[in-house]
Amino acid sequence: MRGLRKYLTPFAPDQSGAVSVLYELGGILVICDAGGCTGNICGFDEPRWHTCRSAVFSAGLRDMDAILGRDDKLVAELVDAGKKLDAKFACIVGTPVPSVIGTDYRALRRMAEKQLDYPILTVDTTGMELYDIGAEKAYLELMRRFAKEKLPVETGRIGVLGVNPLDMSDLGAADKIKERIPGAVCYGMGSTLEDVISSSASEKNIVVAPDGMKAAKYLNEKFGTPYEVYDPLAASLLPELDYTGKRILIIDQQVRANTMRELLLKRGAKSVTCATWFLHLTNLAQPGDVRLKEEDDFEELVMQGDFELLIGDGTLWRIVPDYRGETISVPQFPVSGDLGGDGRE
Amino acid sequence: MTDAKFYTAAELANRGMADLPDELVSSRHLIYSSPATLAFNSPGAEGFGVKRAGLAIPGSVMLLVAPGCCGRNTSLVSAMPAYKDRFFYLNMDETDVVTGRHLKKIPQAVEEVVNCLEKKPSVVMICITCVDALLGTDMERVCRKAEERVNLPVKPCYMYALTREGRKPPMVHVRQSLYSLLEPMKKKGTSVNLLGFFAPVAEDFELFRYLRGIGVKAIREISTCGDFEEFQKMAEANFNLVLHPEARMAASDFEERLKIPSIELTRLYQIDKIRNQYQALGRVLGAEFDDAEDYTSAKQAVEAFAGSRPGLRVAIGECMNGDPFELALALTQYGLTVTEVFGTISGENFGYLERLAALSPETRIYSNMEPTMLYYDAAHCPAELTIGKDAGYYHPECPNLQWNSDVQPYGYAGLRRLMEALTEVLK
Repeated sequence: MRGLRKYLTPFAPDQSGAVSVLYELGGILVICDAGGCTGNICGFDEPRWHTCRSAVFSAGLRDMDAILGRDDKLVAELVDAGKKLDAKFACIVGTPVPSVIGTDYRALRRMAEKQLDYPILTVDTTGMELYDIGAEKAYLELMRRFAKEKLPVETGRIGVLGVNPLDMSDLGAADKIKERIPGAVCYGMGSTLEDVISSSASEKNIVVAPDGMKAAKYLNEKFGTPYEVYDPLAASLLPELDYTGKRILIIDQQVRANTMRELLLKRGAKSVTCATWFLHLTNLAQPGDVRLKEEDDFEELVMQGDFELLIGDGTLWRIVPDYRGETISVPQFPVSGDLGGDGRE
Repeated sequence: MTDAKFYTAAELANRGMADLPDELVSSRHLIYSSPATLAFNSPGAEGFGVKRAGLAIPGSVMLLVAPGCCGRNTSLVSAMPAYKDRFFYLNMDETDVVTGRHLKKIPQAVEEVVNCLEKKPSVVMICITCVDALLGTDMERVCRKAEERVNLPVKPCYMYALTREGRKPPMVHVRQSLYSLLEPMKKKGTSVNLLGFFAPVAEDFELFRYLRGIGVKAIREISTCGDFEEFQKMAEANFNLVLHPEARMAASDFEERLKIPSIELTRLYQIDKIRNQYQALGRVLGAEFDDAEDYTSAKQAVEAFAGSRPGLRVAIGECMNGDPFELALALTQYGLTVTEVFGTISGENFGYLERLAALSPETRIYSNMEPTMLYYDAAHCPAELTIGKDAGYYHPECPNLQWNSDVQPYGYAGLRRLMEALTEVLK
């Protein structure tokens, strides 16, 4: 049945993706919710919350705020917090409540900017889309608002888009990328707002997840910065096995899955199909690749696909108990909320 | 950089409940959720939130009908063995919100869930969230349609964070929803219910003995009912004891619908008030409880801990089993120095705050949810001991007793155990 989940918990939503991109940049992040969405972000989708304080707040909306559309109250509270806290910008992140009542984010931004002397960003997430839609919006909004000036290119500086805990499922991802690519600046992890402001100084950008693509195109159009699309960490996720002659299905975010495919084909795999629950960009897809939506889609794909090896988050295997081939579990945080376990029954 | 904002107990007592500063009223500022206080702001995030509470009935399952974001963190709960294969989801999209078509899908979804289970559930709880609160969904009606389809009880449960400070907050409503499944039954004079918690009260709670001493044979709590039939027997009780104020409305429903009256008790750590409460309870029940031994035992525990540590500096949070202001008052009476309370002031606990102010006017009162708590610095007010998960978070270097187990401490036994646990923490 469309929308019914019997095995999997819902995936990370768009507001979590937006916060994931903005978390380390020193802004006040206001989740425009009643409290539950902030609880989900801080308590679950943002693993950095437990180790690194960040100014993430709930708007604390109540029923009468929503019914009466008290935007002025929200702005007053934001301004009050803005005057007390040391912040470089503020961002209002949407959730289902403002989506239902039709909140005018542009008006919120204008009202707040009149009273605070730093930029106010808004991301019109709804809680009904998946994390990468929110991350995509946040990356684009960041670059549009802060990457304004064309700076001289710094030799060796490489911008990396799509590095955040949700896309990489690894809190050490930025450090690992920097080890492999000296000079890498990972927007979303281990970088600052100043890095975003100076992003036009990059020699090139690397897009490691589909949600970084729009921002990469924007930087390409505005500053001429070229970009490449691959995941430098994908190789480290594949165990040393004999893949020769195997028919393989990879389920992951599209860039990671594509990079794995290239590697597996080089190692002798007979065929590799990529599937994703998330953004499926047609220019990155090959014939036969699949965008999954429902649990039934996955079951049908696996049971009718004649695959010998599945590579993906271990929680997925519950959906296909009758599958008799091999599996390799690669945790996908936005699927299982797992940064490292297996999840297999 | 701003310091975390606090007021002293004396300042607040002087201002009075009607003139609380904006920083201590959560509806007047953005809400800061520290890792220690998620449960306060998010009704499903931690502890017994709506999701866990909604599954308190043995053999029940839950269908969460909501945008994906509302069900996301349920992984944390469904990973617990007791909740395995008990959560299901019907994800809403924007078209559902606009057209309300998700409501038509619910009966079929309930049927699919029931059919995929090896054992038929006792109840299907339909959990809905803020979106349906705004849409004004009549979930009772939808549940009746689903009941017709599966021939099982189907009940709504409302995880409306929007109504958290309203007349009927989610945790009040969920208790009403659960007990609404009880059908009238012949009363038994020897049966009593304890209402209030979703996990059992600690077995050494002396009230169990006192009640048995006056002829009570069955003392039921929702968390100790082994199956749905046992749960149904809660309808045979002679009276209810309400142990948590959030169960007040459910108790009122019991009175109205099942003709079962109730008596409310308060969890206290002031030993004399515990004694007074038992005396009052005894008068209502026409019995006299011999609490001398329990009183003495608790008193000795207090003296063993507090008597040997006069002036010990303690910070108390609200993420623990108790009211932080009542506990602060109790510990101050026992000779300790309560330096800080991280808590939410309400009409119910302001009296404790006033009495605390008289004994310890300089005690600092913070709101966990106030934005400047981001900058809280323990060096400004060092403590030697903290109680509560939140106080422990703010003072990471200090010995901490979380005191927030699911199993609930209560009465003299609760006080005695607290003192023993504090002694252990400081060893």
